[in-house]
Amino acid sequence: MMTFGPPSLLPAAAYSPALALGVGVVVALLSVVAFWPHTGLIARWTRFRRANARVLAEDALKHLCKCELEERVPTLASIAGALQISLNHTADVVEYLQSHRLIASREGEFELTAEGRNYGMNIIRAHRLWERHLADQTGLAEAEWHGAAERKEHRLTPEQADALSASLGHPTHDPHGDPIPTAEGEIAPAGGRSLAAMKPGQAVRITHIEDEPEAVYAQLVADGLHVGQVLRVSQVEPDRVSFWSEGEERRLAPVIAANVTVAPVESTLAEEHPGGRGLHTLAPGEAGVVQSLSPLCRGPERRRFLDLGILPGTRVQAEMRSPGGDPTAYRIRDSLIALRQEQARLILLSPESEAA
Amino acid sequence: MSTTPSVAPESACTGCPAHHLSNLRRLGVEMEDWDYVVALAGNPNVGKSTVFNSLTGLRQHTGNWPGKTVTRAEGGFEFGKQRYKIVDLPGTYSLLATSPDEEVARDFILFGQPDVTVVVVDATRLERNLNLALQVLEITPRVVVCLNLMDQARRLGLQVDDRRLARDLGIPVVPATARYREGLDTLLQAIAGVATGDIVGKPHRSLQEPPALRKALTTLVEHLTQLHPGLPNPRWVALRLLDGDERITAAVRSGEIADLATAQGRPLPTAPAAASAA
Amino acid sequence: MKTSHPITADRVLREAQTLRWKIGATFHDDLVESLYKEASRLADRAVTRPGDTPRFDLDRTVDRIVTSRVWGFPLMLLLFAGVFWITIAGANVPSRWLATLLLDTVLPLLKQFSASLGLPRWIDGLCLDGMYRATAWVVSVMLPPMAIFFPLFTLLEDFGYLPRVAFNLDRWFKRAGAHGKQSLTMMMGFGCNAAGVVATRIIDSPRERLIAMLTNNFALCNGRWPTQILIASIFIGATAPPLLAGLVSAAAVVGVALLGILASLATSWGLSRTVLRGEVSTFSLELPPYRPPRFWQTIYTSLIDRTLFVLWRAVVFAVPAGAVIWLVANLQVGGTSVAGHLIDWLNPLGVLIGLNGVILLAYVIAIPANEIVIPAVLVLTVLMTGTTGVGEGAGVLFELDSHQATLQLLKAGGWTLLTGVNLMLFSLLHNPCSTTLYTIYKESGSWRWTVVAALLPLAMGLVVTFFVAQVWRVVAP
Repeated sequence: MMTFGPPSLLPAAAYSPALALGVGVVVALLSVVAFWPHTGLIARWTRFRRANARVLAEDALKHLCKCELEERVPTLASIAGALQISLNHTADVVEYLQSHRLIASREGEFELTAEGRNYGMNIIRAHRLWERHLADQTGLAEAEWHGAAERKEHRLTPEQADALSASLGHPTHDPHGDPIPTAEGEIAPAGGRSLAAMKPGQAVRITHIEDEPEAVYAQLVADGLHVGQVLRVSQVEPDRVSFWSEGEERRLAPVIAANVTVAPVESTLAEEHPGGRGLHTLAPGEAGVVQSLSPLCRGPERRRFLDLGILPGTRVQAEMRSPGGDPTAYRIRDSLIALRQEQARLILLSPESEAA
Repeated sequence: MSTTPSVAPESACTGCPAHHLSNLRRLGVEMEDWDYVVALAGNPNVGKSTVFNSLTGLRQHTGNWPGKTVTRAEGGFEFGKQRYKIVDLPGTYSLLATSPDEEVARDFILFGQPDVTVVVVDATRLERNLNLALQVLEITPRVVVCLNLMDQARRLGLQVDDRRLARDLGIPVVPATARYREGLDTLLQAIAGVATGDIVGKPHRSLQEPPALRKALTTLVEHLTQLHPGLPNPRWVALRLLDGDERITAAVRSGEIADLATAQGRPLPTAPAAASAA
Repeated sequence: MKTSHPITADRVLREAQTLRWKIGATFHDDLVESLYKEASRLADRAVTRPGDTPRFDLDRTVDRIVTSRVWGFPLMLLLFAGVFWITIAGANVPSRWLATLLLDTVLPLLKQFSASLGLPRWIDGLCLDGMYRATAWVVSVMLPPMAIFFPLFTLLEDFGYLPRVAFNLDRWFKRAGAHGKQSLTMMMGFGCNAAGVVATRIIDSPRERLIAMLTNNFALCNGRWPTQILIASIFIGATAPPLLAGLVSAAAVVGVALLGILASLATSWGLSRTVLRGEVSTFSLELPPYRPPRFWQTIYTSLIDRTLFVLWRAVVFAVPAGAVIWLVANLQVGGTSVAGHLIDWLNPLGVLIGLNGVILLAYVIAIPANEIVIPAVLVLTVLMTGTTGVGEGAGVLFELDSHQATLQLLKAGGWTLLTGVNLMLFSLLHNPCSTTLYTIYKESGSWRWTVVAALLPLAMGLVVTFFVAQVWRVVAP
């Protein structure tokens, strides 16, 4: 009769559970260090490898295109700043661009050649299309769009960008409100003025939020500002700009407000009370009338809401809350629909919503 | 609405099938042994599969869940000596083709040109369901609305005036409770009537486009009609182009949309003789 | 005919493109709004509403109770405990009856028949002892519980109660990055993972549906309950005083099932934050009106749709499994059976993670159906230990009537309490059966996710049993 002793391939003496446990723990720790998202060794390595010469050249072209659109004069220093590399390194990049006839330099100033402009516009197109795609067709958080698009823009061929544009229904603007250049490199002029330059009492709609520098953008996003949002400016002082939005008054430093571009809106009833409170504020038993869907609600989520008939003027009644406290069921056009709190927040009610 | 179309049709093809045979084949529907094809559309959880089962005698599971039918189901039935193939489309809230399901349903109704499209609507939530019915009517006039779940409507004390709805929509509306096979005979008669051309729907396309759009739309529709005279639904195509619908854009570019214009008006070479001999 | 015309398709498309820049981004919203305006106008004309709607109130009252803070959860537990109890209690007798019929009555007849034909012994062995026996085994273990569980579940579904369960539990699933409806697909998974995977169709958000599909395997399915119960009673129950033995082993099984739910939530959390981070995620949950289920129709369709569907797929996979187990036990290479070679080869890994080669080989053979793990373990142990007087020959599946005899046989095979505990863990955490994998492939349409679904739980199982074994050996004398 044979029995199963210690493993036959390992000499019995070499195996000790304590040793095996130790080895196991070490292997586990090593794989955590290697594979951890963002900060793991593998993630760092792939990031490092991406910063090659072509990427830098393309980023420089993009910077030059943006300068041209905004009628700023690019300098070696501004390029170095945009690329976050040393001046010496920047000079190499510029030389590379010149040798490929993508830019021409005259008296120390840089100018894009037709070819260079087309190239740069294609990168901007890829970037903004990809942001649109991330906003509409994926679940990635808003703060991650820009970074992801910064990487993706260098990998999309013009053909892929065209296919992407088609699959998105040829969008005209990216989620930050920037126009997307056409495949021919044409771009709609950016309109609007800075929020910091508005007068008190004026109702405006946000048309664009500058996504660079990232820290300022992150603050604006954290403050809940988004393209399409309607605001009413209440006070403009040297040290702050105040405005009403979605039922509360907010303040921004003028430096930060300068990164928000707005266009005046005609003062209709809706804008006199810019964006009322969200649906999530209704307690079970209360009812309200939808004023609008927040511009933050986009992609499949927005279309689903529209399909369910959540439209301006629709009456919605909060019926019951889950015993867990979160989804709440609302009666919408004779159907009972459960919405999570962060979804209900995106449905803005008219201020005069009645209680049931 | 007689079961046998005995009255001589005015034009040669009043009673002949309208479906687009080659497109149907491409969509994977075999039409060898069938005279007409019927598409079944509707919102999720309105008893569409129940209607399908009662018409075909099949027993697909139908749960009280929105969105049970994922793949397309097919079956057949015979009525008034004609054989009908019936295709159960995935349940969708709209046909604006924003999800794969909607695209499947939309493509079938548009390119397959079924002889009849039955839109099953929930009588207790008419508003949300008519949203879909109106979109189907924009594509084709060969529609029968099946006002299902009438028992539920009665339970809730709702009175649904099917005659008024039929007048407003300009197409047959049949109240039914498919679970208890109520109203199915009338539904079959209506399907046969539309299929054979005895009933010709005149949908009231009273839809109001956003005012800012009216002028833009008018030009586009005009040009589409000049491009493809006889296109049954130029306004709808124009709206889809403005919405950036890639499938429709491609169909316009390749001229595929023109097939619909030609198929709509004339008999298909194989159809009528075979149909009446059966 | 169109070539002479000044208007071309390209021109129309260009016009449309130019107009799109002018009409702005709210076009889609406006379009839907105008559709609804018209729909609501027509609906208002057609529908007359009574002043007050008494029956709406009935639905509302039921809803208030089943989702109330006080009654919501107890009611839910009671209903599901009831469903499981009826399934377990009701399936025992028909299971035994089926086994007697298929194995003790039909099999001897088939044997006689093949003997009268004078078939060679290996054909007889391969077909009857291998394929037929494995299939009969799977059918008799699987069919009765499926035939009870699915119709009961379907009745609750048709009534409209299940969406309310998803509503009640959504909060916790949301924290794990999942959809409340995953609670239902998981519940379905306790019956059969393949059916659970099919049921994920009710989740319409792509990310949450994939999560539900990939984690369904952590719901301990019907094919694995018998393994858990047997091992818990003969190893874990035996450590307690006889009076408490039943209770302790039951607690161990429930513990493993709860561990599965925990693993499912933890994996959902991990997946939603790493590989599935970018997938589209929208939440939508409609609570349909209650409808009285149509009893017989429901029973009929759920039998056809779910029970027979699952059974058919299981049978398709069980037939080759039966052939394999018979072949590895009977084919000889260099004087030892193929099974012997494989077990020797797998044994080092098996012992390292607190199992043994026999168990690992049994799991490889039982990829088609978890039901045959225990019989395969017994057959292979008999083969390897050379025990006489048990079983019915090499490669012939069997089960022992008494727990005591099973324990003795396994102990002869070198099993300890650690082997028992780790087998229970491994039974929970290992690759899904081939039926489930095939279903995942069909439903997701992706080889990539199917491979993830297979390897992820297997890796988790290997890691968990490895650490348990090492810690056990360090701590235990």
